[in-house]
Amino acid sequence: MFVNNIAYESLTKHCENGKNDTVIIHWIQNDLTMIEYSYGDFETESNKVANVLTYLGIQNGEVVSIFLPRSPMLISCYFGILKLQAISCILFSTLGEDALLDRLGNSQAKVVITKASLVRKILAIKDKLPSLKYILIVDQDENQSEFLLSLRKLLDNSKGTFEYRHQLDAETPAFLQYTSGSTGKPKGALHVHGVIEDIIQSFREIMMLEQDDLYWCIADPAWITGLCYGIIAPFSTLADSIQYSGTYNTDHWLNILKDKKVTIWYTAPTALRMMMQEDESAFDQIRSNSLKRIYSVGEPLNPEIYHWGKRIFGTEVYDNWWQSETGSIMISNRPGLEVKPGSMGKPRNGIEAFILDEEMQPLPSGLHGHLSLYKGWKSMFRTYYHKEEAYKAKFHGEYYITGDLAYKDEDGYFWYVSRSDDVINTAGHLVGPFEVESALLEIDEIGDVAVIGADDPILHKKIIAFIVLSKDVEWNKVLELKCRIYISNKVSTVAIPSEFVVIDKIPKNQSGKILRRYLRAVYEGKDPGDVSTME
Amino acid sequence: MDLNEKLTGVFREVFDDQSIVLSEEMTADDVDAWDSLSHINLIIAIELTFEIEFKQSEIQNFANVGQLKQSIESKLLNHN
Repeated sequence: MFVNNIAYESLTKHCENGKNDTVIIHWIQNDLTMIEYSYGDFETESNKVANVLTYLGIQNGEVVSIFLPRSPMLISCYFGILKLQAISCILFSTLGEDALLDRLGNSQAKVVITKASLVRKILAIKDKLPSLKYILIVDQDENQSEFLLSLRKLLDNSKGTFEYRHQLDAETPAFLQYTSGSTGKPKGALHVHGVIEDIIQSFREIMMLEQDDLYWCIADPAWITGLCYGIIAPFSTLADSIQYSGTYNTDHWLNILKDKKVTIWYTAPTALRMMMQEDESAFDQIRSNSLKRIYSVGEPLNPEIYHWGKRIFGTEVYDNWWQSETGSIMISNRPGLEVKPGSMGKPRNGIEAFILDEEMQPLPSGLHGHLSLYKGWKSMFRTYYHKEEAYKAKFHGEYYITGDLAYKDEDGYFWYVSRSDDVINTAGHLVGPFEVESALLEIDEIGDVAVIGADDPILHKKIIAFIVLSKDVEWNKVLELKCRIYISNKVSTVAIPSEFVVIDKIPKNQSGKILRRYLRAVYEGKDPGDVSTME
Repeated sequence: MDLNEKLTGVFREVFDDQSIVLSEEMTADDVDAWDSLSHINLIIAIELTFEIEFKQSEIQNFANVGQLKQSIESKLLNHN
């Protein structure tokens, strides 16, 4: 089956249809000044990127990684990579060296596109990345070496046109999305160009934008929501949209919502919970606004936030559920479907969701079990890159097992219960305990460690690190700061534990596996249950 | 070592970036790894380095490095 290249469907097609000068993004900078970008701007710039990569010898099917903060250049690079039929891999600019090594090593990226202030992180690990041929720096005018090149200089010498195949096999790899597991290294979910059909269909079915709407998705493009519904969906459907360079800032966000007259806002529960901490008078300015609908994704939208959001913004708040692996929204609340606060809604058209028991048999309504999807939807990931066994392990027969526990009520609404594994969903980011533990164990003063997630009113789950100190080491604020900084710079700021708990021994079973369930129960003051397997 | 030099050292350690040069107008937007989570690391590091304490209400209210420095100076004065 053939589909349009995502870059063609999102950009080139519109330029061919006379939309070259049509503004697609109102880009709001940190100081709230705005720059408008048209389809033609991104078409020309992404053509140049594709020419640069061709000049550097990048072939289709090879991975080019983008390690940049959200920026117009990130978007141009993304589409340029796809035009070449190479595989894009966007990484959070907050990732530390260890996290970068895991991702760049697994993907065998040939090129990393980054900025001057982030280069040092890649240079620190480059000897462990034999596949890496070039680092392209977006904000330097001159090449530093044959390895460290100025993208700006290369772009200046490139043509703004690029010939490429618009139609290709739907199974052609397009992008990698890294996600954390409960054990082992992060896994790169591989998506193909065929993903675009589900993204467009779901965007139209759930977001239901009209011609005069202004759409704002707050997610960073390194998060799958930011890529699929912050870039691909609005670009491909001609949806007038906003991007904001900054991070969370209540005043700025409210200013953007009101002054720019945003009508459809795709946000996250943690952002709403952070807003809830503000004095209500902060929202006086937003009492009258242009918002028609709010959508939320990343963690469960608990009824308290739902009601708060609806009251403060005067509009419906629609929660939805999907994952890096699913490639598009799977289960959703949406206009025309009565909202049950706290529920993730119902599967969208064409998606079949089930609750399965431990034997992978469907459960009747009301019973908790494994949230699973009937496999084969178009945007389903095609593998975990270079980890086929891990990919296969996510399926049981015809079912994709999501890793979430949930239940379905008698009306067909799905309700999130928890993760079925040890992955920690903190502020919408999935953090694998193994990544945090590995980094902490690199610190001499730490003898052993176990990491768990615990309930948190803002973050959904907070990261708790149980540590055993090395001999003759005392816990103090200096050591705690060392641990926090180490995690921040080696893994990511989102992986910094909220709390460190010093204990004498990490509870493990007889085969050496950490008993996280026991630690969680002890931390939360609950009965740890059966501890007969504890060593 | 003056305050600026000492504070520069703190920033470089917290954000693992020896190229950081502080300016009065610098904000979190100017430093790649400076987000709301690493901001807590920065505050703890400043408290430990300068032996001062910030109130909870102060922590998120610095508009830029200049204001942060003013706050540190004022606490050091009161301290002495």
